[in-house]
Amino acid sequence: MSSKSKRITLKEAAEIIRDGTLLTFSGFTIWRRPCALVLELIRQKRRNLHLVEVNGGPHSEFLIGAGCVDVWESCWIGHELYGKYGANLSRKVKNKEIICEDYSHAEMGFRFLAAASGMPFLPTQTSLGTDIHNPEYDMLGRAGLRNGKNPKIARKKYETMQDPFFGDGEHVLVPAARVDVAVLSVQQVGEEGTVRIGGQFFTDPEICRAADTTIVVAEEIVPEETLRREPRLNDIPGFQVDHIVECAYGAHPTGMFGHYDVDGDFIRNFYMQTRTQEGFDEFAREWIFGTDHDAYLSKLGVARLLNLQANRALNFSTRVKRGHK
Amino acid sequence: MERHAYAKAGEYTLADLMTVAAGREVMDNEVVFAGTGMPMIAIMLAQKTHAPNLKLIFEAGTFDGRPIVTPTSVGDPRCEGGASRASGLCEAFAIAQRGYVDLGFLGGSEVDEYGNVNTTVIGDYLNPDLRLTGSGGDPDINSFARRTVFIMVHEARRFTRNVSYITSPGWRVKKWPSGEWVHRRELYGRAFRGGPSAVISTAGVFRFDDVTGRMYLDSYHPGKTPEEIRGLCQFDLDVSRTSGETAPPTYEELHIIHEVLDREEIFLPKPRKV
Repeated sequence: MSSKSKRITLKEAAEIIRDGTLLTFSGFTIWRRPCALVLELIRQKRRNLHLVEVNGGPHSEFLIGAGCVDVWESCWIGHELYGKYGANLSRKVKNKEIICEDYSHAEMGFRFLAAASGMPFLPTQTSLGTDIHNPEYDMLGRAGLRNGKNPKIARKKYETMQDPFFGDGEHVLVPAARVDVAVLSVQQVGEEGTVRIGGQFFTDPEICRAADTTIVVAEEIVPEETLRREPRLNDIPGFQVDHIVECAYGAHPTGMFGHYDVDGDFIRNFYMQTRTQEGFDEFAREWIFGTDHDAYLSKLGVARLLNLQANRALNFSTRVKRGHK
Repeated sequence: MERHAYAKAGEYTLADLMTVAAGREVMDNEVVFAGTGMPMIAIMLAQKTHAPNLKLIFEAGTFDGRPIVTPTSVGDPRCEGGASRASGLCEAFAIAQRGYVDLGFLGGSEVDEYGNVNTTVIGDYLNPDLRLTGSGGDPDINSFARRTVFIMVHEARRFTRNVSYITSPGWRVKKWPSGEWVHRRELYGRAFRGGPSAVISTAGVFRFDDVTGRMYLDSYHPGKTPEEIRGLCQFDLDVSRTSGETAPPTYEELHIIHEVLDREEIFLPKPRKV
């Protein structure tokens, strides 16, 4: 594949993610989530998505509120300081409009690590004795989705076994989180796909390799040779990346280390407004439909974006108001 | 004003009291795993007082950080200030599973008398009244750390006989697939390192009996009584071992909380002078 052919537009990236895709995302709670691409998926009216996430955040709440998601497998969803929990997921779980499968955070991390390493499962001793392992609560199983028809959905939620090697007792085997597409939102990608992440890389290297197709949405596409001068600073080699998209402020309203902070006001308003479906629909009319990423940024306005802009030495904004003071 | 003197009623908030009580659970040189919010302030307070050599781990992937600005969450770039390594979740949880973590600081919505904590759902899991955030790293830290401290709001419905869903394992847990209750030592085998060591609520500080794993009242916050707190639990709380009132914050601790760590009042609003 020639390097140039990796570069696509946000709209083209969203078109790669078909109805029914098993999908995962970069980042952690309210940091480095590919929100611009998620909003484009909503505009394209994608349906029946199956999200497998190490944890959820505003991006998941956008997709779930818009009715794009049938299955959500993860361990946590919320907006940290700016919203107590995922109100859209909560509403749809209560109304039985979505299948929600719970694992623990370490289990989700290890599931991606297994998939990233080409292993079918990993053993762990976390969460023994909790209802995460209650066999009644295998929700994909209850929905008849563990029948092997979809090769990426494990036939069991988990299995238990005694350590056969050292006699270290009860272990839980968690199935690899194999997904169709991973979308990463990062600071820099080279023209050949080399990814350099600023700050903690969360589970990005693992989710990238766990996927058949990886799309990297970067704040900037940079000359490949500049990244190759200091390979120690790079996180993902280019051959693991299929498509690259350049998109400034592509993670807004979540934060991007070194570029901009979390837009707490935006997230808090979203959380408060979208606790009802009517509220979500109104939010979508205002911020998603009939617009595109450029129009979205224009609507946010220069002053707001400048306020979020990170101090280049500290990597976070010194202007955003975070607390009461 | 003597900086090590205890502050008087009205000079500190209930949240200040809980934060210093939490901070006092930390011992110097420990490896501590903290969740977002009050736990961060508690740990950073300990780091600036009696535990300058504690090692701080945030599950999003920063190790031994010495943040100069308080982070708003564990994924915040501010966590990386002075850290020895910025990594990811798989490494953070592998480190915990390997046994490096002495103490975890966590939150919860419901707790039972054995320290089983729920952060997943209120009501029947299959027909929930309210879906909460879910587990996050709560069960993982509570499975792997030597001690864990929970910081919670105290209401009778939250200190319950049976939590709606066991998100995080306490001292007596369910052995699946049968769901039979067993002591966690039995289930965790060689991986057993400890379990919940304290619950710090808006009413008092609670600990767990070494043998039975049952919760008892250790100290009650100023203005509360053991009998009143008994009434705030749906289970039969042991109040016979109470050590007295929770020690209030010192002026120095209040200064560190409000003038050094949380000047922006992100997690802890300042006490309002009457």
